Order: sequence, then structure tokens, then C-alpha cells
Amino acid sequence: MTVLAVSNLSKRYRRGGKPFAAVDDVSFEIGPAETLAVAGPSGSGKSTIARLVLRLLEPDAGRIQFEGADLLILSGAALRARRARLQMVFQDPLAAFNPRSTVARALDDPLRIHGIASRSERPRRIAALLERVGLDAGLAARAIHEISGGQRQRVAIARAIATRPSLIVLDEAVSALDVSVRGQILDLLLDLQRQERIAYLFISHDLGVIRALAHRIVLLEAGRVAESGDARTVIASPQSAVGKALVAATPRLNRIKTP
Amino acid sequence: MTALLSIRDLTVRYRREGVEVTALKGISLDVEAGERLAIIGESGSGKSTLALAVAGLLAEAAEVGGSIEWQKPRSSHSVTASHFQPLGGRDIGFVFQDPSFSLDPVMPVGKQIAEVARTHLNLTWREAYAKAKTLLGRVRLPDSEAALRAYPHQLSGGQKQRVAIAAAIAAAPKLLIADEATSALDTIVQAEIVSLIRGLVNEDGLTLAFISHDIALAATLAERIAVLRHGELVELGDTDQILNAPRHAYTRMLLDAHLGLDAKPLLDRQGASA
Repeated sequence: MTVLAVSNLSKRYRRGGKPFAAVDDVSFEIGPAETLAVAGPSGSGKSTIARLVLRLLEPDAGRIQFEGADLLILSGAALRARRARLQMVFQDPLAAFNPRSTVARALDDPLRIHGIASRSERPRRIAALLERVGLDAGLAARAIHEISGGQRQRVAIARAIATRPSLIVLDEAVSALDVSVRGQILDLLLDLQRQERIAYLFISHDLGVIRALAHRIVLLEAGRVAESGDARTVIASPQSAVGKALVAATPRLNRIKTP
Repeated sequence: MTALLSIRDLTVRYRREGVEVTALKGISLDVEAGERLAIIGESGSGKSTLALAVAGLLAEAAEVGGSIEWQKPRSSHSVTASHFQPLGGRDIGFVFQDPSFSLDPVMPVGKQIAEVARTHLNLTWREAYAKAKTLLGRVRLPDSEAALRAYPHQLSGGQKQRVAIAAAIAAAPKLLIADEATSALDTIVQAEIVSLIRGLVNEDGLTLAFISHDIALAATLAERIAVLRHGELVELGDTDQILNAPRHAYTRMLLDAHLGLDAKPLLDRQGASA
């Protein structure tokens, strides 16, 4: 069974008057509770793929099957219902929230819009969501701009899981976090994946993070799939030119191994 | 080695949204002439404030305590001055994270580099343009003649950062400060820019202060690493010592949190997979 099946996806833009393919004939699948990483240099098309899957952009060609339904022909109520199962977390949570909103308000919206909990039930659900992502329920009354970056990304994850998704698109979701916070967020994502069987489409430029978290990887170059496979195998011995260049460019800590 | 500059008990306070923030708390540090020093830390560590303080670029409202003393250059004309005051652009080159902030969007990049050379090296415009062309070649922009006439928006992020580096070294400064200069670039371009900085620093005998949140990246470039946390200098040592025998628990945490290509995957650490 697959959660997401993308086939022959293409998206062209015009840049400086000339057409160019941001995404060119890309296909991949993601299974339940699986993490697929999409990696590549700047401009390789990874964020465009995230936006196409989320239907923030319309493709020029190709199919996107989500939980067996053709995502591209859904509209109206059917699309909204399916949307609840497909969530997102972006790099900068401050840009993803209304900064004047409170934490409670940010979590109340999905519960209300998708009819998940009645008005009287929602405060309890919000408290449970906050606890689920490792935050104190007392944080609910705080403004989004008052809390730390790491806390904000936890709230973004809480908002994403509020509607019980089967897939979360994580677009550079840990790239802006301090390393001391990043490890905790990665642990939380892994824990949620195991408990709730959530699949992740993990967009990242960081092979170290991908290797720690992802089962499989798709490496892009200029909008096309250059290489794909088991994440650790591909990173240990990349076959494509872009894979070799990315591995070579990743900084290493050259510590002397102590027993 | 002699110190290019000596920082003593440097404290910087400023107000943010009405709240007083102490960005640096009593930092003492010598930057040796000709060394490559990395200053690393997480957000709020004060690493950028330290870079701005050294460059004399702190906001006027900042409250500064302590001192930064520069070694007086032998050729200095200011014989009467009790200590040498460096001039930004001439004595210190600064490369920021986002080159768009330091480049004028409506001026050809050649003119922007030539302006630095003309102002600080007393060159004619013709000489300054020739210098700019040489510099664009040195930062390895393909076709430096065409690049002279390019506007910033016509260049990629990596190319813009190369131009910003060319402008930063145009007046042959003593000290080059790179503040998260590669953080907005992808891994491949980041490695190219780091290699470029390493080459230029070697060729020109520059002193380098490399500010970064990334301890692994900093270690590929630096001979010494200073670790900052919450405005304090928690550890300073040779790169080899910092990596292999860190003295401070915070440095160890930063090293352990690094997810390298040889780290044990988290998927295994928790003993399960899909």
C-alpha cells in the first residue's frame, strides 16, 4: 500500500523569458510510516515538488495519487476532507503562523475547520496536542511571537498532527533550528511516526540529517531524478554526479575515534 | 605570533523591544595576526555581535564596555594616536550572510568593487576598474569582463557572495570577517565558497574571523575555535583540541549533536524502522 504515489510530474516556469523545467518527469512513492527524503542543490526542484504535492502549485503534467485518490482532480469538500490527511511543516514557523495569534488559536483553527472537535472539547484537545509534542499545556495562552524557535516548530508539528494526517510534508523543517534543539525535534518526528504511522516527505539539503532520519532518498538535479534508493546506501556510495558532489561537499568532523 | 587585536572584557548591551539584552558578557580574546579563527555558537550566543563590535559596526544605541585594541601597523601615519583605529572597508573586510544586503541592486557589481579600491587605495577610476576585474577573476567568476557590468539580480546566490568577497578584500584589509557567509547557500556552493576563502586568505596573508553556527564547517577552515554561548566565551582552543578533547560540556554537546555522514542514524538509535 502506498500513501503517496507521484508519477511523471512536471512543472515548467519561465525565467528571463525562457522556459525552464523546475520539475521534469519525477516519479516516487511513499509507504505508511515511511520517510522519503528529497534532496538536491538549490534550484534542483525540491521545494517545487513540496508545493505541487500540497497543491499550492498546479503541475503541467503528471499524476499525484494520495491515499488512492487522484489529488489533482479533487476539489471543494472532497479536497478539504483529503487535505486534513496531508499536512505540512515549513522551515520558518514564524512565517507559517499569524504572529499575533496565540498558540491556542493556531491549534484551534484546524480542529474547528476540519470539524474534529466541538467547541467545548477543543481546549482539552489543544492541551493534549501540546503535551504530545513535548510542550507545557500552559503555553496555550502565549503569543506565537513570544515563544522560542524550537517551541514554535513544535507548535507547527502539533498543528500538523491535529487532523490525524497520514503524510506530512516537511520542507527544510529543521534547517533553521539550533543543533541543540534539532536533535529533539528529530526525535519527536521519529516518535510520532512510530506511534501514529505517519509518512514524511522530507525535503532537505542536509545529507547528515537525511541519513539520520530517512528510509529512502530521491536525489534531484535540475528538476530530474538523478538517483534514488535506500538513504544510507545512496549516501555511502552515490552513483550520480550530483550525489558524489553533495557527499564530497558535506563537512566532516574528523575526530579521532576513541574506544 | 603577535596579536592583531586584543579584546578585553568586552561587554555589549542593547535594548530589543524595550527589553535590555546583554549580548556579550566580558569577552577576552586575542586574534593573532595571520590566523584563521572560527567563532561558533547557536542563536543568541553573541557571535554576530562580537563580529560587529570588532568591525566597529554596532548600532550607536549599543552600550559597550571593555576594550578592543589593535596592533599599530608599522606604516601607520597616525603617530600621535595613542592606539591605532582601523577603518571598516580598508582595514577590515566584512562578508555577511546575505550578499543582497551589502550589494547595491542598481549599480553594476564592477563599479561597487572599484569604488572600494578607489576610496581606500587612492586609485583612479581606470585603475580601480582594472583592480575590480582582477578581483572578479580571483573570486573565480566566469568571464570577469562581463561580470564587471552585471547587476546583482543577474547573479546566483553563490555568485553574489563571490562579488561580496571581492569587495571585502578589494582594499587589501588586514582582517576578513565572514559572518555566516555560507549559511544561506546549498552544500555544494558552500564548499566552493569555503575553499575560495581559504585560498584568498592564504594568498594574501589575511587574518580570518569565520563566524558560524556549524562546528564541522568551522573546523574545516579554522586553526583555532572560540565557542560562545549566551554571550560568554565558554572555550577557546586549537581546532584539534576542541574536536578531540573538548573541555566544556557545551562544546561536547555541540559535537555530539552534529549529524555527520558517519553518525549513528537516529532510526537505529531508537531501534526500530518502518
